[in-house]
Amino acid sequence: MTVTHPTSAAPQSAGRPAKVPREQDPRHPRKRLSALFDDGSMELISDDDLSGMLAATGTVHGTHAVAFCSDPTVMGGAMGDEGCRVAVLAYERAMADQAPIIGLWHSGGARLAEGVLSLHAVGQIFHAMTLASGKVAQVSVVLGPAAGGAAYGPALTDVVILGPEGRIFVTGPDVVRSVTGEDVDMLRLGGPEPHGRRSGVVHVLTDSEPEALQRARDVTALLSAPGDLDVDAVADIDLARSLPESMRRAYDVHPLVADVLDEGTGIELHARWAPNITTTLGRLGGHSVGVIANNPLRLGGCLDSLSAEKASRFVRMCDAFGIPLVVVVDVPGYLPGVGQEWDGVVRRGAKLLHAFAEAKVPRVTLVTRKAYGGAYIAMNARSLGATRVFAWPGAVVAVMGAVAAVRILHRRKIAEVPQDIRAQVEAELATEHEEIAGGVDKAIEIGVVDEVVEPSHTRKRLAEAIAAALTSPRTRGKHGNIPL
Amino acid sequence: MAAQVQILAEMVANVWKVVAEVGTDLAAGDTVVILESMKMEIPVLAEHAGTLAEIRVREGDVVQEGDILAVLR
Repeated sequence: MTVTHPTSAAPQSAGRPAKVPREQDPRHPRKRLSALFDDGSMELISDDDLSGMLAATGTVHGTHAVAFCSDPTVMGGAMGDEGCRVAVLAYERAMADQAPIIGLWHSGGARLAEGVLSLHAVGQIFHAMTLASGKVAQVSVVLGPAAGGAAYGPALTDVVILGPEGRIFVTGPDVVRSVTGEDVDMLRLGGPEPHGRRSGVVHVLTDSEPEALQRARDVTALLSAPGDLDVDAVADIDLARSLPESMRRAYDVHPLVADVLDEGTGIELHARWAPNITTTLGRLGGHSVGVIANNPLRLGGCLDSLSAEKASRFVRMCDAFGIPLVVVVDVPGYLPGVGQEWDGVVRRGAKLLHAFAEAKVPRVTLVTRKAYGGAYIAMNARSLGATRVFAWPGAVVAVMGAVAAVRILHRRKIAEVPQDIRAQVEAELATEHEEIAGGVDKAIEIGVVDEVVEPSHTRKRLAEAIAAALTSPRTRGKHGNIPL
Repeated sequence: MAAQVQILAEMVANVWKVVAEVGTDLAAGDTVVILESMKMEIPVLAEHAGTLAEIRVREGDVVQEGDILAVLR
């Protein structure tokens, strides 16, 4: 933890030539909180003073929620003892009301002048956040620089949304320069590019402050107001319409995910980080669901260490809040390679096995084209306790691709045949192998697939399977959502 | 607008087909080359619009993760 000097982390406020009176500053926390809540619903629960933090209750999309906002008009939003107490008070209120809590961040970190007292105070916010984890939904919106303690606050919450001016870093450019000699600005150190693509800190990137607040409202409603599932309202469409003819051709899975969800309800988390798997919140039949889907366009849809970690955190978040899961599987396996093994694909891949196996929410799997090997298990297989497993006609569930399998199983036989007919023999053996080992009929026979369903009937069957497994009150995993 | 954008291979693969031609204008989402890996044909798309300045691979080449496939200008 670093105590960041507010002037070095937030030069925008420090270097402002003509200081705008606080009441007229568009960054005033009262204005930001008011814009977050439904019109006219905001009630302050802390004094509008110079503590550096302001808290309020109100509604978002009609749902009761608590929010707090750091105050960049005072010392660049630096957090001291008083301000941190306001944030902790907001957490106490959220826990008492069992209401979602939204944090709006724009802060240079701990108040340098208060020394260790400010560190102690910031740590108490972290403690409150961690105790609330998995119990009430926590959404963070980073609207300006969030440095040091202000960086770790959002990172402890369920979903982090970045405004266009949002910058997140532990130590600012000045410290980086003086310690390592690297010359870097706030944008490149902690802006949308590094956090959207490389670090995985940010879940949702936005182009404007109003959009960032709107996304926070949408995510909050999806997580804490799941609604009722109306199966009759689920219209079937041909879900295979966005897939290519050839089974070998990779494709972008986003249109398929959008088709699974009620139109226009999807919010993708971590869209650009580990893009070989997609994690999307949305609604099906009006009810919140989380959709996890392999994306063959990126890395062929292979699971790798980052995508496994990304998906595990999403599964655990949905489980904690009682959000059912839809798992769309088209996976050729785990990504092979020295880099992957050394990077901990075994350790991180194990997180996904753990996350699915412990999940209590309804979780329905759909195998669209293929599910191979260890990745087949990791994508919510029957063996991990899937609520129901569907497969489209022609889907293959196997240890590996048939040709690769027969090359191992029939190595000697293949070696003995002349080179010119080897490919033909392999193909014949592969067809034979597919019939006995990989076909969907075999998968049904041994019970790892429950039902073959046509793409044009899949939406409704998914909704029915979830509806049949939903309980009242909703079953939730009893665990926090550690930022895996 | 003269900035170069490199299009990189995400994974070890064979270059199966070179689809786009040098000198053509590409829109974001257009296919540049198709790689073959994990028994799949994986299109590599232009992330931004631009003119295809260079193709650095030929069909049949084996590319490693991070290799430059093409350059957009």
